[in-house]
Amino acid sequence: MTAIFWEIAKRNIRLHMLRSTLAMLGIVIGVVAIASMGILGNSMVASVSESLNSVGDSVIVSPYSGGGDGMGPGGGGGGSSANLKITDQNYQQIKRAVAPNVAIPVLSTSERMSVGVGSDDIVATIYGVDTQYIPDLSLVLTSGVYNNADSGCLVGSEFATDNNVKVGSRISMGSDGQYGTLRVTGIIEERGMSFDLSTDNAVVATQGWYESTFGSNDEYDQVVVKVKEGQDTAEVKKIIEKQLNRRDKIVSVTDSKATLDSLYATFGTITTFVTAIGGISMIVAGVSIFNIMMMSVNERIKEIGIMRSIGTQKKEVMSMFIYEAAIIGVIGSIVGGILSILAGYAVSALMLGTTEYLWTISTAISVSEGVGFGIVICLACGIYPAWQAANLNPIDALRHE
Amino acid sequence: MEPVIQFEDVVKIYPLKSGDVTALNHISFAVERGEFISIMGPSGSGKSTLLTLMGCLDKPTFGTISMSGIPIRDMSDVELTSLRRDRIGFIFQYFNLFPLLNIIENVSFPQMLKGGVNVEKAKEVLRAVQLDEHLYTHTPLELSGGQQQRVAVARSLINDPDILLCDEPTGNLDSKTGASIMELMTQLNKKGATIIVVTHDPNVANYTNRTIRIIDGRIAA
Repeated sequence: MTAIFWEIAKRNIRLHMLRSTLAMLGIVIGVVAIASMGILGNSMVASVSESLNSVGDSVIVSPYSGGGDGMGPGGGGGGSSANLKITDQNYQQIKRAVAPNVAIPVLSTSERMSVGVGSDDIVATIYGVDTQYIPDLSLVLTSGVYNNADSGCLVGSEFATDNNVKVGSRISMGSDGQYGTLRVTGIIEERGMSFDLSTDNAVVATQGWYESTFGSNDEYDQVVVKVKEGQDTAEVKKIIEKQLNRRDKIVSVTDSKATLDSLYATFGTITTFVTAIGGISMIVAGVSIFNIMMMSVNERIKEIGIMRSIGTQKKEVMSMFIYEAAIIGVIGSIVGGILSILAGYAVSALMLGTTEYLWTISTAISVSEGVGFGIVICLACGIYPAWQAANLNPIDALRHE
Repeated sequence: MEPVIQFEDVVKIYPLKSGDVTALNHISFAVERGEFISIMGPSGSGKSTLLTLMGCLDKPTFGTISMSGIPIRDMSDVELTSLRRDRIGFIFQYFNLFPLLNIIENVSFPQMLKGGVNVEKAKEVLRAVQLDEHLYTHTPLELSGGQQQRVAVARSLINDPDILLCDEPTGNLDSKTGASIMELMTQLNKKGATIIVVTHDPNVANYTNRTIRIIDGRIAA
């Protein structure tokens, strides 16, 4: 194609700078909407997956409540029911079935407690875990050590912060300390949402203390199976179900990996949905490009007639208008791409509190998609006006006033 | 030698909803190389249709038009466009320069369409039409009507066409400037250019060697 048409396209954009800038602005907004939504969605997935990955590959076994396979009783409320327990016999079956993977029996309840003399009662979850299994739960401590005596306990970071608890602090368990006191030996790092133990606002005591305090019938609220690396959690889940639910369904088994996968799929759907909403603004921008290209063609009918009469081919006239749409599209999309990184940075910082997930391949893909879509929309919206210009009858175009 | 343009029994009919309009009715004539011809006639006589056919912007309904012996009837749009670019120079009443391009670029435009730019050639034709050199980098809107028409003449000459087609070249100029443009045409004709001028103005026709009069789509004399 002849360079002069590229030059004419550039000069026409400069001549109608305001109009061209407004059209570019539409594309900028469209690209920012698409790319920043993509960046935010990817950052959220990265953020959530990091916090959830800390639970490792677990299979959670909880008593079957008749309500279908839920997320298990791992929620912070310690959703166990007095009537729904896993018997020790069942636990032994699970333990044998999943060996060499570790099966950890967990007791849990909610109880009143207080920290310090005269302080108000608080309610928190209390877990009872055999001390030998605590390292297997991968509880990372920010301070202190794992407790190995029934008089000690670990507390979650949120519990510690809210109640000004430090290593060495004593917690009076039950109303008026009816269950005695526990000394805090360590504070567990924030774990966020997790499948097994939600420790952030909880006290992790020993199984011995728990059973001596709340009684024991050799029953547990849940069993956490830590699946070793290289083994399939789905396979472990199947083994447990086959072993325990042979006749009646007595346990619900939650595969953390499958649940995570479904969570990611949901995030992916949400990201696609919000990106599609961003795409609407791109369509609007495309309409404005179409509009200014049609205006450009209508204003230059006579010029097109002269060009055609002195020997300009149809494809050359077409290229002139395509160049114009392409310049607007490329500049608008690149500016939009840069701004979307800034917008993604700002939104990630505000909504997720961190920008560490911004500089990833998926961000580059989101920005590339936004920029690419912007350019494609501009070219697509420039094609019809360009085609119309190229196919004007030169005689009619010459007579146009 | 083949005539530059030859019309043989050319009929041009425009089909309209209200009925067909015969703009040219069995026209035959030839333009020989080096001729300076005026085409005159009242409004609606078929002058503009004749010009569009001579300029290969349209094809006849019947009859044959040949450019330097080559019939245009079966030519594609691409071929006709190339023919206009290489063999025909157009000069319009309203100059019709490109406002986004400067004078040198306007003149070089048909050359660029052929794929090459020779700035020296552009300057040469601008000198031939007697345009001041300091105006070469100006835009058309910075020039007077007469200067713009000189640039239009220069543009029409840049690809060394077989023929110059002029549509009322002085129609938008004052009489003095119009006369200077016609003097320029005369000089170009003396140097060998074949020129056809469509005009209402008998003073313009006086510069030419032959006048073809069109009345009701037919050649009157």
